[in-house]
Amino acid sequence: MILVALLAVAQATAPDPRLERLDPAARPPVVQLVDSARAMGLPTESLVQRALEGAAKGAPAASIVAAVRRLAADLGRARDALGPDAVPAELDAGAAALRAGAPPAALTTLRRVRRGSLIVPLAVLADLVGSGVPADSAAAAVLALAPSIRDVELMEFRRAVERDIALGAPPATAVRVNATARTARPGRP
Amino acid sequence: MFDAGDDLVERIVRHLREPVRVDPALDARVMRDIDPPGSTARAHPWTWVALAAILAALLVVWPWGSAPAPEGGDRRQFVLVAPRAITVALVGDFNDWDPARTPMHATREGVWAAVVPLPPGRHRYAFLVDGAEWRADPAAPRAADDGFGAPTSVATVEAGGT
Repeated sequence: MILVALLAVAQATAPDPRLERLDPAARPPVVQLVDSARAMGLPTESLVQRALEGAAKGAPAASIVAAVRRLAADLGRARDALGPDAVPAELDAGAAALRAGAPPAALTTLRRVRRGSLIVPLAVLADLVGSGVPADSAAAAVLALAPSIRDVELMEFRRAVERDIALGAPPATAVRVNATARTARPGRP
Repeated sequence: MFDAGDDLVERIVRHLREPVRVDPALDARVMRDIDPPGSTARAHPWTWVALAAILAALLVVWPWGSAPAPEGGDRRQFVLVAPRAITVALVGDFNDWDPARTPMHATREGVWAAVVPLPPGRHRYAFLVDGAEWRADPAAPRAADDGFGAPTSVATVEAGGT
């Protein structure tokens, strides 16, 4: 029994074998960041994936370590904002929204007003800000829509905003017009 | 729908649409051949073993290489138009950023596609063209720049699939 427990602990603390793909200069600090995140109860898979992404793209070790450190900090902020019950996929999307510039208070409010998974609202928030919509406008729109419309409609909302921006609409106007249309008639474009 | 070989496709379709002419006596001849009067022949026991083995093999490979969607997730098709590419790989969070794991296939000249099962979440990915050039998906949102020197796209899968 004790042997099994010791094996389990050893397995949990052993470095992820996938990280052997990293440059020798990047591996130790990334392993340390992953271990720290695990100790804090944060999901580690996205940290590993971010490091692997950097390695696949041939990024310098310093860039990989910086990106993983930034993501670990964002995941911690996302958990603070979303609460301890947030699942890893919500934390990933929340971290992306925060990195894009969304205010942490928006994440907390979203948790309060939206029933069910927050993956899509948070991802839409991150994508809108990433496409040029001011963070406050994007957060206001997503918070206005989140209580009443489904995930698939939120995705369609994001596509409509991006389409309007591509056609030349100012991002803030595009998000406001599309949000107003959907708030007035949920489920309609 | 088809750029090249339209004539050939049309001829094949025309041929397939032609009604099949069957000799009215065919049924009788076939039945006489497979079940001759007075026949007491029975299948050899190994025949059933062979049939069972074939059935088991079909069940194992079903549905012929297409992995099912993960629980609550979705199967997504990714497409890139790259007429001059020799190889294109789909690389992302869902395959450990390993270019060897998800090669894309040219469905038409210059149109590359791959279908992958994705769990719910926000997934980062990119296309690797000819093993050297990273390209973003023009049909998807971009991820924030991480200083890796190459673009990254994002696919969001809601809980319960699309």
